[in-house]
Amino acid sequence: MKKIAIDQFSELVKVLAERGPLYAPVKGKEGVNFQAIKNPADVTLDFYNTVLSPKSVFFPQSEDMIRYRITHGATEAQPVPQESRPAVILGVRPCDVRSFEIMDRHFLGAGVIDPYWKSKRDNTTVIGFAFDVSAAADPADFYNTFGYGAADPEGSDVFMVRTDKALLLKSMTDRGKKLLDSLGFLQVAGAQDEKVFEETVKKGKAVRTRSAEINPQVIAKKLVSVFDNGEFWQKVTMACIACGACTYGCPTCYCFDISDEMLFKEGSRKRFWDACTFTDFTLEASGHNPRPRIFQRYRQKVCHKYSYHVDKYGCISCVGCGRCTRVCPVNIDIFSIVDEANKL
Amino acid sequence: MENPYIPMPMNVVKITTEVDTNDIKTFRLTFVSKEDEEKFKYLPGQFGELSIYGKGESPIGIASSPTDPGYVEFTVQRTGTLVGGMVTTALHDLEEGAQIGLRGPLGNAWPIDFLAGKNVVVVGGGFAFTTLRSLINYMIHGENRKRFGDITVVYGARTPGLLLYKDEMAAWQKRKDMVMHVTVDRGDASWKGREGFVPTVCKDVAPSSKNAVTVICGPPIMIKFTLPVFFDLGFSRENILTSLEMRMKCGIGKCGRCNVGNKYVCKDGPVFSLAQLEQLPRDY
Repeated sequence: MKKIAIDQFSELVKVLAERGPLYAPVKGKEGVNFQAIKNPADVTLDFYNTVLSPKSVFFPQSEDMIRYRITHGATEAQPVPQESRPAVILGVRPCDVRSFEIMDRHFLGAGVIDPYWKSKRDNTTVIGFAFDVSAAADPADFYNTFGYGAADPEGSDVFMVRTDKALLLKSMTDRGKKLLDSLGFLQVAGAQDEKVFEETVKKGKAVRTRSAEINPQVIAKKLVSVFDNGEFWQKVTMACIACGACTYGCPTCYCFDISDEMLFKEGSRKRFWDACTFTDFTLEASGHNPRPRIFQRYRQKVCHKYSYHVDKYGCISCVGCGRCTRVCPVNIDIFSIVDEANKL
Repeated sequence: MENPYIPMPMNVVKITTEVDTNDIKTFRLTFVSKEDEEKFKYLPGQFGELSIYGKGESPIGIASSPTDPGYVEFTVQRTGTLVGGMVTTALHDLEEGAQIGLRGPLGNAWPIDFLAGKNVVVVGGGFAFTTLRSLINYMIHGENRKRFGDITVVYGARTPGLLLYKDEMAAWQKRKDMVMHVTVDRGDASWKGREGFVPTVCKDVAPSSKNAVTVICGPPIMIKFTLPVFFDLGFSRENILTSLEMRMKCGIGKCGRCNVGNKYVCKDGPVFSLAQLEQLPRDY
């Protein structure tokens, strides 16, 4: 295990940002969010969790897939080259780290590999970051439901714990070890530090979020069985205004739209985050829309995460990070909806 | 690494206007690259994403049969631009000799091995006949014909002018190894064929359900009234097949758009049996 004094942290950020793309939390007008770091001083470790999830590092909100140029009837088109320098994402909370594995099952699974997700994922070392285990969890969080603790290092390449004066950095994978070994200026942590690290992980298990007994296989069947209970779905989604904020904040919402944008003779085929709660998500060219009503679309969202994803990939597509509840302008809470459905 | 989002370049070699309203055209495409042509192995029922850079992509069923090598055909209806239609409008504006893109073949296919050895009743309505045409041409091609039992086709359109593939239909009607029932909702002065809705014709024709499968594609209203006819005839839900439509983007099960329950229509479908559909939530 390695460590670095808190006042030396910007040195670590500087070196990482020089080597390749570094994504880390930055405080902006909209709160703290992951950004590509240009100025090491921008990085902050003083946040509960980022407003938007870290998924944008591997799955940007808008991403060029193919760029093309059309001249005299001939078209030159090239897939957009992907970053080849190794990247680092630093400061990912334990529940968010788990979201990457859930997204991997989709983007790398079911027989088709998404090259845009894969290249960024393969290329990026994940430095997880324990929540402050002496503080209470945000009331919106419910990651305990999935068995995650506030300081679980699983899934991170390097896991980072903050103490009063230092940051402890423990490698969890070969990739993480390689990164730490390459940072010569880090101090070697002592036995006392190891103890603090282990205690933090343990204390993290004791930080309680909201939690419910949800068995993936059981809830998957349950939701399909209450699918036709329109009264229930209309009641729980009555307030929804179909703004899509929950899906934009979500670390495991992966639906995207593909669209062409062209100016004069040059353009690109892009993909954008989309939301199943939007009116035209399933609007067909014929004018037919299988899910014209908001309750039908919100039901799709819940069933996708807690039922269809379980059937397809064996796990619930939710990590209990609480973002959807925090960002919802009308206080809809997916945790309560699933819990209520479970008890129907 | 293979990039499944990159279309293959295709030459538009032939454009046929199918209907008197001029809004349905069949595009015959050939491969620019020999390598792409060799890799493109498809079966009836699959679809492709037609791509025009600067406009976008549209998922369209393959209307040709793999028994006609060297080209692929797509029959495309131009849709209004209020709710979309960028790509289909651009396609309709093309002239022969243009170059477009194609991704595919995508999705599953009509289950040829399941159909083999059985009597096949093909029921189509209007524009939804495209992948059925592929299937019919596949089944009646040369040696393939022996693999299937009786082939009965019921095909209907609103008016005579809206019937697709008229020359081919005429040729099929002359064949002794298949039975054609072409109908229109409303005939015109020159129409000498049958008049009546598809479900009614199915009832009149009353194909036996013994060792038989029916393959039905058409507008929802036609399917709604045709299904009971086949139930009455004794067709089991496993032996009623259809092809679903949903809005699609990626066509490869990634963009999350076209699901019905835990199935992606683009990847797990578009072909489903009624028995399979009844397992899914009513969300289509």
